[in-house]
Amino acid sequence: MFDVLTENLDAFASGLWVTTRLVLASFVVALVLGTVAAALRVSPVQWLRTLGAVYVEIFRNTPLLVLLFISFAGLRRAEVDISAWTAGIASLGVYTSAYVAEALRSGVAAVSRGQIEAGLSLGFSYPSVLRRIVLPQAFRTVIAPLGSITIAMVKNSAIVGASLLALPDLLKEARIVNSNTFQTTESFFWAAVGYLLLTATATVVFRALEGRYAIHR
Amino acid sequence: MSRRRWVPAAAIAMVVALAGAGCGGEDEPSGQQTKQSEQAQKFEAGTTMARIADKGEIRIGVKYDVPPFGFKNPRNDQIEGFDIDFGKAVAQKLGVRPVFVEAISDNRIPFITDGTVDLVLSTMTINKERAQEIGFTDPYFIARGRILTEKGSDIRGVEDLAGKKVCTALGSTYEETLKKEAPRADLRLVDTYSECLELIQNGAVDAVSTDDVILTGMIIQDDSLALVPGDELTVEPYGGGFKKGDTKFAEFLNGVLEEYKSDGRWQRAYDKWLGQYTKEKQQPPDATLEQALQGEVT
Amino acid sequence: MGYLFDPDNWAWIGTENNLRFLVEAFLVNLEIAVIAMALALGAGLVLALLSIAGNVVLRRAAKLWVDVFRNLPLIFLILYLALTIPEAVRDFWADNAPGFLPDALRSRLVLAGIGGLVLYNSAVLAEIMRAGILSLDRGQREAAAALGLSYRQQMRFVVLPQGLRRMVPATVSQLITLNKDTTLVSIIAIQEVVRSGRILSQTAGNPFAGGGDVEAPILQVMIFIGLLFVLVNYALSRVSRRLEVREGRRTAARPARVAGVEETVTVA
Repeated sequence: MFDVLTENLDAFASGLWVTTRLVLASFVVALVLGTVAAALRVSPVQWLRTLGAVYVEIFRNTPLLVLLFISFAGLRRAEVDISAWTAGIASLGVYTSAYVAEALRSGVAAVSRGQIEAGLSLGFSYPSVLRRIVLPQAFRTVIAPLGSITIAMVKNSAIVGASLLALPDLLKEARIVNSNTFQTTESFFWAAVGYLLLTATATVVFRALEGRYAIHR
Repeated sequence: MSRRRWVPAAAIAMVVALAGAGCGGEDEPSGQQTKQSEQAQKFEAGTTMARIADKGEIRIGVKYDVPPFGFKNPRNDQIEGFDIDFGKAVAQKLGVRPVFVEAISDNRIPFITDGTVDLVLSTMTINKERAQEIGFTDPYFIARGRILTEKGSDIRGVEDLAGKKVCTALGSTYEETLKKEAPRADLRLVDTYSECLELIQNGAVDAVSTDDVILTGMIIQDDSLALVPGDELTVEPYGGGFKKGDTKFAEFLNGVLEEYKSDGRWQRAYDKWLGQYTKEKQQPPDATLEQALQGEVT
Repeated sequence: MGYLFDPDNWAWIGTENNLRFLVEAFLVNLEIAVIAMALALGAGLVLALLSIAGNVVLRRAAKLWVDVFRNLPLIFLILYLALTIPEAVRDFWADNAPGFLPDALRSRLVLAGIGGLVLYNSAVLAEIMRAGILSLDRGQREAAAALGLSYRQQMRFVVLPQGLRRMVPATVSQLITLNKDTTLVSIIAIQEVVRSGRILSQTAGNPFAGGGDVEAPILQVMIFIGLLFVLVNYALSRVSRRLEVREGRRTAARPARVAGVEETVTVA
């Protein structure tokens, strides 16, 4: 059991690192795009709201695997020179951003209307009310949902490696170890430990953030 | 359209295959059911052959995406290729119906050890590591490891692969070979060779390395691709795989292979699936399993 | 943009039987989703009941099981099962699968696909159900106990009917995720819509592979497949939201989260 781990420590470690980088980079993309989409969805302008809604509905209802094919195989055939890493991060990030947007929107909805009106009557513009008053509070109410989304992202990252993109992530490395050692259960067991380690870390980090910053409503 | 060349002969072969499918049931000789019990008696009781003859079908693990060795035509579900023809010959000798099952590189050895298939004919190279898990027939084909690139690529040999993206299948011998011969190459390990073809066509990898026959299949589909001349990375004797230690089945399979080679069927299959595209000639292999395991095949 | 909207790159939809080829494959995804959902609901209910059982060992074991399987990547589970489901089981399925199922669902590999989907989703649903059951006011069970109902009767007549009712919208939104996840079985060579899409784009315009003379670029094919999913899943999400609102009015249920799941689900 342990010899599969010790003899292939390099492979498992590099796989874990690839998965971690993939998740972190996609998280940044998801947070940025998700915030923009959430801002669109609560905008006072009707067509911006519609745009935000269309964005969210498209990306959370399309399978991640399909997004990966579109962004990598599809775009490359259209002569767009996109690398497997870029396509992987963009797909996972865009896919997750739809969920981030939904979570943030519910956070925004929880900020009382009176605060927004107070901000507006003090002469702040709508975007700056959003930026200075609403979003900071919205983020703090949605720390728990963001943690949940991050865990989902760790799991979804395995799809990137198993797809055509073939990034050498934790699952891929475990399968390579399996193909060299024929020890299927052992190889997958250690990958499972790696994934549980990542999801547990995400849980702990977000719990700490929640304890520190969360606003409960 | 622009990147592909259509081989008229292949198109004709396909039309013939389609027409054949239209007539239906060409794989099942008439009166097969009644013959089954007689066939079962031909083989010593308790052997794999008797068991298969009794069942009336032999399950053979093949590739579905490696023209011209094992290929499933998705439009009409016909499975065809060099491996398929040999599999049919084995089934014919047993007097049973061949049932072809897709076996990707990743799962073909588990398929044998857990009994999902009776036999694997899936462009599988004979080597010592695998021989510890499964039994092999004598080599039924000798493939050579080569490199495929876009025409006009600056890759001239294995030493040029350093820093280049190279695609091969997860669980294939090339995973090891490339790590040894081209340690600085950036390997992309995928599940099926059709993914390697997609990746080199869309430019995501610079080269594909695997057996020349598989690479030939890619050139048939896209003539902007070419083999890097000369450099033979490896010699790959293909063997049929079955459950380890089944010596009676091994003898039987090797007997079928001898007959297949000596009565001209091997040569006809070679010309049909390879020779007409490569314009090359090749004799049936005469190496034994032992030589293949010792790496003495040239 | 020119490439994307060029009518020549979309002509494949109206060529040969391409459209039917994809839509039929998409139905396989929906069938897999419905079958996996039915099985996952059953297994999830058992797990949920175990995880609130009186017996400490059972409770802990069920909780551990649920926590492990809902925190592992689904594709990981599918690939592992594809490599390890024993021959006897595959044989049994191949020989006994009902004939009305499409080929893809009678294949020997489909067990790994559906097995992985059920393993993962039953763990997620168990967690949702547990939350749904625990969200009921304690007083309900105490009242039932005071009326002399046994544990079994309390569950059967008081807790489950209410707890599970609250689960309905959550189940529908999990069905959306499950629908998308069915595409993962393409990785173990089951011919559903993504695999069919790849086959289509590799063979259309390629007479060697039995295609005609119109190419089907993979970008356009995959966008089309994505739209099929958006269509069905959007409809489902409308249903789910309507149920949530109705349930919210009846029981004051409000959206909550089950850790590790993308969708917000209404449980309490």
